[in-house]
Amino acid sequence: MEKQNIQEPVPFQFNQKIKKWLLIAAGIGLLALLWGILITQAPASRIWANLWMNALMFLFLGLGALFFWTVNSLGESTWQINFQRVLEAMALTIPFAGLFLILAFPGMGSIFEWTHTEHHDEILSEKSAYLNIPFWMVRFAIYFIAWSFFAFYLRKISVKNDFEPRETYLKKTRSTSGWFMVFFAVSSSMAAWDWLMSIDAHWFSTLYGWYIFSGMFVSALSVIIIITVAFKKFNILPNVNREHLHDLGKFLFGFSIFWAYLWISQFLLIWYANIPEETIYYITRKEHFNDLFYLNVGINFLFPFLALMTRNAKRQTTYLAIIALVVLLGHYLDLYLAIFPGAVGHEAASIGLLEIGLPFFYLAAFLTIFFVVFGKAKPVPQNHPYLIESSSYENI
Amino acid sequence: MMHVSPIREPLINGEKSYNDITNDVMAPVKAKPGKLWYVGLTISALLALAGVGAIIYTIWNGIGLWGVNRTIGWGWSITNFVWWVGIGHVGTFISAILLLFRQKWRTSINRAAEAMTLFAVMCAGLFPLIHMGRLPLGFFIFPYPNTRELWPNFNSPLLWDVFAITTYLLVSLLFWYMGLIPDLGTIRDKMKTAWKKKVYNFLSFGWKGSARHWSRHESMSLILAGLAAPLVLSVHTIVSFDFATSIIPGWHTTIFPPYFVSGAVFSGFAMVLTLMIVTRKALNLEEYITVGHVESMNKVIIATGSIVGIAYITELFMAWYSGVEYERYAFVNRALGPYAWAYWIMMTCNVISPQLLWIRKLRRNLAFTFGLSIFINIGMWFERFVIVVTSLHRDYLPSSWAMYKPTWVEVLIYLGTFGIFFTFFFIFIRVFPVIAMAEVKSVARSSARKFLGKSVKQKPEKNH
Amino acid sequence: MSSIVYGHFTDELDLLDAVKELQEKGIKIADVRTPFPVHGLDTALNLRRSRLPKVAFIAGAVGGTLGMLFQIWVFTVGWPLNIGGKPQLAIPSFIPVAFELTVLFAAFAMGIAFLLRSNLGPGQIPDILDEDVTNDHFQVILSEKNNQVTEPELIEALKAAGALDVKHVNSTK
Repeated sequence: MEKQNIQEPVPFQFNQKIKKWLLIAAGIGLLALLWGILITQAPASRIWANLWMNALMFLFLGLGALFFWTVNSLGESTWQINFQRVLEAMALTIPFAGLFLILAFPGMGSIFEWTHTEHHDEILSEKSAYLNIPFWMVRFAIYFIAWSFFAFYLRKISVKNDFEPRETYLKKTRSTSGWFMVFFAVSSSMAAWDWLMSIDAHWFSTLYGWYIFSGMFVSALSVIIIITVAFKKFNILPNVNREHLHDLGKFLFGFSIFWAYLWISQFLLIWYANIPEETIYYITRKEHFNDLFYLNVGINFLFPFLALMTRNAKRQTTYLAIIALVVLLGHYLDLYLAIFPGAVGHEAASIGLLEIGLPFFYLAAFLTIFFVVFGKAKPVPQNHPYLIESSSYENI
Repeated sequence: MMHVSPIREPLINGEKSYNDITNDVMAPVKAKPGKLWYVGLTISALLALAGVGAIIYTIWNGIGLWGVNRTIGWGWSITNFVWWVGIGHVGTFISAILLLFRQKWRTSINRAAEAMTLFAVMCAGLFPLIHMGRLPLGFFIFPYPNTRELWPNFNSPLLWDVFAITTYLLVSLLFWYMGLIPDLGTIRDKMKTAWKKKVYNFLSFGWKGSARHWSRHESMSLILAGLAAPLVLSVHTIVSFDFATSIIPGWHTTIFPPYFVSGAVFSGFAMVLTLMIVTRKALNLEEYITVGHVESMNKVIIATGSIVGIAYITELFMAWYSGVEYERYAFVNRALGPYAWAYWIMMTCNVISPQLLWIRKLRRNLAFTFGLSIFINIGMWFERFVIVVTSLHRDYLPSSWAMYKPTWVEVLIYLGTFGIFFTFFFIFIRVFPVIAMAEVKSVARSSARKFLGKSVKQKPEKNH
Repeated sequence: MSSIVYGHFTDELDLLDAVKELQEKGIKIADVRTPFPVHGLDTALNLRRSRLPKVAFIAGAVGGTLGMLFQIWVFTVGWPLNIGGKPQLAIPSFIPVAFELTVLFAAFAMGIAFLLRSNLGPGQIPDILDEDVTNDHFQVILSEKNNQVTEPELIEALKAAGALDVKHVNSTK
């Protein structure tokens, strides 16, 4: 009983109604920013940290999606074909993330203490061969140029295959994915060191790059789930069925546990050895951000672990989307805890209207770019050799 | 019914029916063993005996017989322990994690890989036991109410190891045996010799293939896979904690847990390849363990090998970035100090050689894969050696710096564990089915050449 | 003394069709025996989802809790030690052992429950009617006891569904 009938999707329209909501969201975001600057009169460090945090989360969604797309291509897996265009559109937001990060560059002085070369102590001097603005900028450029190139190229050949299906398509996608994977493995860690770990420049952890990656991946998965569920409901991706969502749920479940595993690895080892230059990172967070510190583990591990354990939980679309949303917010908190204690300090940092409202602007920007890109190609790759297999499998 | 894309490579070659699968896999179990098997078993058994002798000699005379000293308290014993435990991770990885990722190619190799896991973990477990020295007091590590009113130190990663390895051995045994039950039923029904039939009857627990039982069995396998997957990660993580919870440069680094796990899967798959490439030829199972299977295993190797490589680079960078002179020296010493030869063997075997697997032709070349798998296992042994010995022999206080050289007793014990491992393996291939028959049959409809109706119109494969 | 009627198929797709046919005729199937788990058979036979996962979850929770509480007791009441200045309630340290015990309890409870529930175990003698059921025969077993129909009608129905080698046996069960 092969499900050979691929349903015709409702063509996607980036219509006025969606645009209206996005504009409202953008407005909320900008209002929050203005509120923070003018009314709360938040210190500059807090404003810049907010811009930095949101730009990074914006990047994580696109970069995580690109990783998911390429790793599935390399593994010759097929179940994701039915929503691959969602991954592609998310990946193409990466260059815009770069723009948003650049917008936050004026605040580098307040976020990164190592930029103040005149105040360098011995430790920061030792690192200055790596942590200096010119080299840092060059790396920034390399990461974004390369990531964007890969996203654009993979997208190009994917869309081209819709019209001129070629035997070499799969092979080309796989080999490009391979090159991307190698570059990504190195660059994702280095970017994490450059943009996040160096905020607490006196501290270091070899696991940090992989830990940030795991948070990035789970955040991207959450958004993939929410968008795919929404598209399924509106019949834009009618062939996405419960099996696909079950699998996405498994990924969310499994990688939330993986995130927690990396979290506890880093924490336990630093706690156990009790070396002051390492423990200061956690002491700052446990003493001054205590509730958030534990809430972080609760939302990002305990909650998805319990909520997504059963088979049924992963197969109920709305439930899954809600869990995904909560986990996404949880990873926002994780990013907050990675940036604010070091960049802003416990006295100035707090979660107010600025922190809650500003993400709406970035959400609007992300979705705008996403919808425009998604609308430019067919919702599902045509002529893909794996398309039928993607629509016709069953989970135990 | 699942549709499989026609461009996928079949998992079972030849025109094999279900009956063929049964007969092919059962052939080594039913048939009388050949001369080569006897030779192999004898050599392994002799080596095992020699190793056991060396162990008894050590327990009788004490650890002074070994090359360890006050500065370098852990030498070959712990290197070997981590090496064997690493290899022992692959079985559960294949059975559990590949099951969760629906990789059907795992069905031809999981049975042998799981058996390998059990034997490797048993060999691994020997080392922590014998390196204790006063083995008769070994029961102290177990938490039981005693007149001394003492309890073991639950803050110690060495004790966490005891629980982790024990749990892993027991759960792997359970997972392996549960999967084996249906196949034991098959052997029981096909066996004609009366006493053998009785034995397999006992071992098969009365299995009769009832649909209700299969339903529960599948549900249980899925849950066991879900339990075993984090278990696999946790065991080598806890082994890595033996090092990472310390304060020694080169040991205390947060990347150890996932890096050790990747390294374990890396070396484990290499060992599976070494064994399977020989076994498939010796037992005429080439149509079940195909070149496609070897390629898939090679892909896992290049993925995990690359992760290990990235971990090396990260450690190097972070040692510099930290600005801590002891960290920096630890890595300079590894690359340029008295054990530099070990370091560069490790780098060549683990980082450079697996990268050749990006080339498709090499991934599908059995001779190359066989050679590479041995290289990788050598490289991974040296990785553990480098981690254990170089970090210990020169840490904070130069007046304590020393050198380590193994004695013949340690070397013989290590060789002996090979003997133990292969003795078990040789017996395994004669008593139990090397391939999971029921599982292979269950993927046959979607992936066997016979059922896909494919004509043999493909490019002739080299190195069959 | 009632009768058992059984026949086999050589192909699991035929088996699934036959099962559907028999059920449409209103015939209750006593058992289906296959060499490997056939997808779709569970739903065709309306088998209830196994409750083994629940066993695993409960046992795991018990194991983890016991492990954690035991360690806490050992370090606060039983034999409190100062290990590197760590607090007595060294929860991060207790996580590895508690986790291992969770997995151990869950796995073994489920394994034992599986064997008990399915009546399998060392020394169990199975009532094998067709030795090839563990090889390549897909067997359907009908019992006169469950059905309103008589034995010859069962044989007819099974043959009509395409079964090969339909036999019957008098059962004492």
